[in-house]
Amino acid sequence: MAARVPILFPAALAALLLTALAGVLWGTAEIGWADRAAILMRSDDAPRGLSLIIWQWRIPRVLAVGVIGAGLALAGALMQTALRNPMADPYLMGLSSGASAAAVGAILWLPDWITDSFGVPAIAFFGAALAFVLTFGLSTRRGQPLDPLVVILAGVAVSLMFQSLTAFFLYLGDPQAVRSALGWLMGTAANTEWRELPLVTCALLAAMIWAMRNSNALDATLLGEERAQALGVRTGRLRMGVFLATVTLTGLAVSVAGIVGFIGLIIPHMARLLTGARHRVLLPLTLTLGALVLIAVDLLCRTLLAPEELPLGVLLALLAAPPFILILRGLRRAV
Amino acid sequence: MLFEPITSDAALTLQDLTVAIGNTPYVQGASLTVPKGEIHGLLGPNGAGKTTLLRTLYRATTAQAGTIHAFGRRIEDHSPREWATKVGALVQSSGLLAGLTPRDIVEIGLFVLQLDRSEHTDRRDAALALVGLADKATQPAGNLSGGELQRCYFAQLLACDPEIYILDEPTNHLDLHYQLVLLDEVKRRGRTVLMTLHDLSLAIRYCDQVYLMTQGRIVEQGPPDQVLTRDALRQYYQVDGQFQGAALSLVGPVWSGTGGGFSTRN
Repeated sequence: MAARVPILFPAALAALLLTALAGVLWGTAEIGWADRAAILMRSDDAPRGLSLIIWQWRIPRVLAVGVIGAGLALAGALMQTALRNPMADPYLMGLSSGASAAAVGAILWLPDWITDSFGVPAIAFFGAALAFVLTFGLSTRRGQPLDPLVVILAGVAVSLMFQSLTAFFLYLGDPQAVRSALGWLMGTAANTEWRELPLVTCALLAAMIWAMRNSNALDATLLGEERAQALGVRTGRLRMGVFLATVTLTGLAVSVAGIVGFIGLIIPHMARLLTGARHRVLLPLTLTLGALVLIAVDLLCRTLLAPEELPLGVLLALLAAPPFILILRGLRRAV
Repeated sequence: MLFEPITSDAALTLQDLTVAIGNTPYVQGASLTVPKGEIHGLLGPNGAGKTTLLRTLYRATTAQAGTIHAFGRRIEDHSPREWATKVGALVQSSGLLAGLTPRDIVEIGLFVLQLDRSEHTDRRDAALALVGLADKATQPAGNLSGGELQRCYFAQLLACDPEIYILDEPTNHLDLHYQLVLLDEVKRRGRTVLMTLHDLSLAIRYCDQVYLMTQGRIVEQGPPDQVLTRDALRQYYQVDGQFQGAALSLVGPVWSGTGGGFSTRN
């Protein structure tokens, strides 16, 4: 499998760059090729209005979507390893449900001055963190090692609780506000601003550096808890690191773009089928593919029914699921 | 017992080790010394505490009381990584093997040693050849049979070749050929070994010293042919049988009666 890596990486990176460029160049607004070039080169004769669209709307949006896709995919890969469960994803510990309940609750019930001063994203992040604390609290017992299966079950329980809370809020809410809440739930990267980028980008970089430094220990974790311990891995500490990275990456992703499911589950599997499960090569490819796929789907969200914009999370699941399943089946036969 | 001097030829020493999980004691006051280069076996029925005792040695659990020394130095004075380079273990544990090959599995073990590239490759390939997996080295590990997977983990340990081998049921899933091949290899290397075994013939064949455990305590110890007497088999294993040379001739199981003694059925 390793033999494929030298070709794969440049190919994936090139595809990512091309997709990102496409994400910047295409959109609802019609812009001629000459103008596109002028705007990207920041030349003086570029039309100001179109320049604003590209520099203030599209570029930050493409960057944000890329960072979020990469972060969710990385979080998914780490969770699958830490819990040794191929079904694990970033939302496993109730993070999305916690974020949803908090955001929907805030949009529907909190007075505007509170929602405005904290912002829905921060409230959503708080909800995700709260869900994590609950799941973790439910699954740990003093003096006993953490059982991955108990973590998953606790995550399911916490998810269900927050989901019913969200449904309850939506059921009782004012119809106009409910529509706005639903828009948030379905995930969208519209309205992303430059100022939102530094935090998510820093979190992604920090998580990636941490994960790469621990790639050998993560590899050992795949072989089983006790085998990893026998190889000198502090498995409890490593798993805590994975959880913190996941909460941060997922919480921030949700706060910027709402709920974008599926990418954290499926991208690591694709990457694993392409390069094998060794983290030193798996994680960079997972990151690249996560960014690539989400940027591509976001581009389709903007252009498919233009000027209407489709929700990112919904389109991702609709569009990406069938081909991904086919790819997985095909690759499974080949491996 | 507590103040028994730790002699310099003692590779592994456990003193009054007690391990409890919650309030249930699994190992109580176990003491043993494995001199450098000897192979010692932990024997006993299911649930005797053998694996729990070994788990403290590869740091999957910590003892509530007692001490563990390797070459005179306490386990607590080593970082987990440092300990792992000295004391290697073959354990029972299930993993997520999707996307891994036997070659990966051996390499993952070798990372603790931080070898240069050529030695890393040499050791990896030699170990895989030794366990008969050279031709499957790059195939998906998920497709291996139970015995092949066990050989693969054996290869990981043999590639690392630590000073002390901790083997938990090393012959699990292995066919007779590989049981002998791999244990012969361990013996040939002259390392210090502490292992659990269910196959008592293998204990007679390979162990310099065995310990019989039951209900968390070491109740008998000595050379295997002296410990595994007809009485001991009857009392601790609840079987009727005895060794004739290295061959175990079994009559059948023994059923405990209501009076606390044992009697054979029929």
